[in-house]
Amino acid sequence: MSEALSQVPLTSYLLVGLILFSVGLYGALTKRNAVIVLLSIELMLNAVNINLVAFAKHGLYPGITGQIFSLFTITIAAAEVAVGVAILMALYRNRGTVQVDKMDLMKR
Amino acid sequence: MDITAWNWEVMTPEFIILGTATILSLIDLFMPDDRDRRFLGILGLLGVIAAGFYVIKFAGAEPVQIMNDMFRLDSFGTAFKLIFLTGVALLFILSIQYLNRQNQEVQYRGEFFYLVLTALLGMMIMASSADLITLFVGLEVLSVSSYILVGIRKKHLYSNESAFKYVVSGAIATAITLYGMSFIYGITGTTNLYDIAERLASAYQQGFSLMIYLGFFLMLVGLSFKIAVVPYHMWAPDVYQGAPTPVTAFLSVLSKAAGFAIIIRIFLSVFRSIVNYQSDAGSFYVLFQELNLYIAILAAASMIIGNTLALRQTNIKRLMAYSSIAQAGYILVPLVTFWGINFFSQTLFYLVAYLFMTLGAFAVIMVVTTDRGTEDIRSFAGLYHRSPFTAIAMTIFLLSLAGIPITAGFFGKFYIFMSSVLYENYWLAAVMMGTSIISYIYYFGIIRQMYMRPGDTEARLAVPLPAAFVIAVGVLGTVAVGLFPDLVLNYLNQNLQFTDMFARP
Repeated sequence: MSEALSQVPLTSYLLVGLILFSVGLYGALTKRNAVIVLLSIELMLNAVNINLVAFAKHGLYPGITGQIFSLFTITIAAAEVAVGVAILMALYRNRGTVQVDKMDLMKR
Repeated sequence: MDITAWNWEVMTPEFIILGTATILSLIDLFMPDDRDRRFLGILGLLGVIAAGFYVIKFAGAEPVQIMNDMFRLDSFGTAFKLIFLTGVALLFILSIQYLNRQNQEVQYRGEFFYLVLTALLGMMIMASSADLITLFVGLEVLSVSSYILVGIRKKHLYSNESAFKYVVSGAIATAITLYGMSFIYGITGTTNLYDIAERLASAYQQGFSLMIYLGFFLMLVGLSFKIAVVPYHMWAPDVYQGAPTPVTAFLSVLSKAAGFAIIIRIFLSVFRSIVNYQSDAGSFYVLFQELNLYIAILAAASMIIGNTLALRQTNIKRLMAYSSIAQAGYILVPLVTFWGINFFSQTLFYLVAYLFMTLGAFAVIMVVTTDRGTEDIRSFAGLYHRSPFTAIAMTIFLLSLAGIPITAGFFGKFYIFMSSVLYENYWLAAVMMGTSIISYIYYFGIIRQMYMRPGDTEARLAVPLPAAFVIAVGVLGTVAVGLFPDLVLNYLNQNLQFTDMFARP
């Protein structure tokens, strides 16, 4: 199994990461529901994790640092999204909506 | 590896801030709900002063690296920490008055103080770290704390909305930064800035330039969020407007300075050593002779967009947001013209000037908008007749922001302008000159309101003592730095050997 996996070239991993990142960025910029926006941001952060772990195995200088870095990324992403959801809940209580395009009070 | 043998002493300021934040949160937890929590601000202030004492004590020492080279104490970090600590100390004085019992908007006053302290801890780590992981963790400690600070008026619609916008744009920026870091890690296999610098130079020769550029641009875009320059400036007006005024001051001065600390640290240490030997025009440094063009474009775009869009604003906090976008553009100029000129003292001089004038201006804005109950620019009408000293102080801050002589802002801008001219980057100097003149229109618009427009009321404006103190410090700082710029520059040059940033102990 691990033999077969290590045959997969680095570029495939990077491509998966790139697709995931692009899908996440697209979702974060276009979706109207705030929860989906937060989920899309998670996709972008997970694309980073794929990159880091792939580089840790197949990079120019393989080593464990990339995996350690991805642990930090996962933890901090969780904290960041927790704060995001908490703020969204406060907003929902006050306004009764999670639609991003309704959040335009300050445009006027 | 014996961790007890490490020189933990160099982290004393960070430990003091961490300890103060922990103690404040515990006191806040166990104290009855109906007690006034403003004394927590005084405790926090004491912690900040103690940390400042140790930062000054360690200033000028040889660079030290501990924790497997993750933490790094050098002159660059020390200078930025001094700016952060001064700013937070003034901010605490300002907010002790803001969070009084009459102000029902902020219910969680204890949280305010220790969230500012955790944000300060993040900034200090950002300023003195030599590893991508710790730099990133510091950045996020600052970001997450400031998301909550922006939304701390829980029942306030604008505050909710701006906090959510801040979280979303901040998290996207984080993801972009990290994506860039992952490529830099990929071609170097390490997160230590100095190892990266060595390996990146050889990777460039081996033909990995595409990934290096990818990493550079992604990190530049992601980190430009923190300093609110183009292309990542759109959050600033909304967030500045919705946040409580002391938090707006925090974002516009401290968070921005921390952003510059991390940008300068990463770009100068990582990309500095890449040299292109293959070009037709002979070998050149990629960062200083090729990539800096893109930083110059961002700086110019920020100046143009910030200064022109500020013309249309009627809300004073939105106006300050656009003004801060333009100011960030000015501060980026030395990074463009780094080569061969005294880069660090120019940047830091402007940041010191910016600290005094912006914090002072926000203190005045806080007093006036709280008094009038509106954030419209017209709330400044007739201020001269209501409180001459406040009006004169605000005039000094605005003149300094606009860069009129005998103020700190003038010399800051002058040095930056000269660096651009000496580097023969005339178009950037021209953009800087032109947009500065545009900025006079809106800065003088406020001054016109204060002196020439009749206000709704002629009643004397009562300036609370803490705010008056901050305003006075701001005026003193702005004028003193403007009258004796050499003192600051000499202090910076004599006590802090900035080039030790590039030295590895």
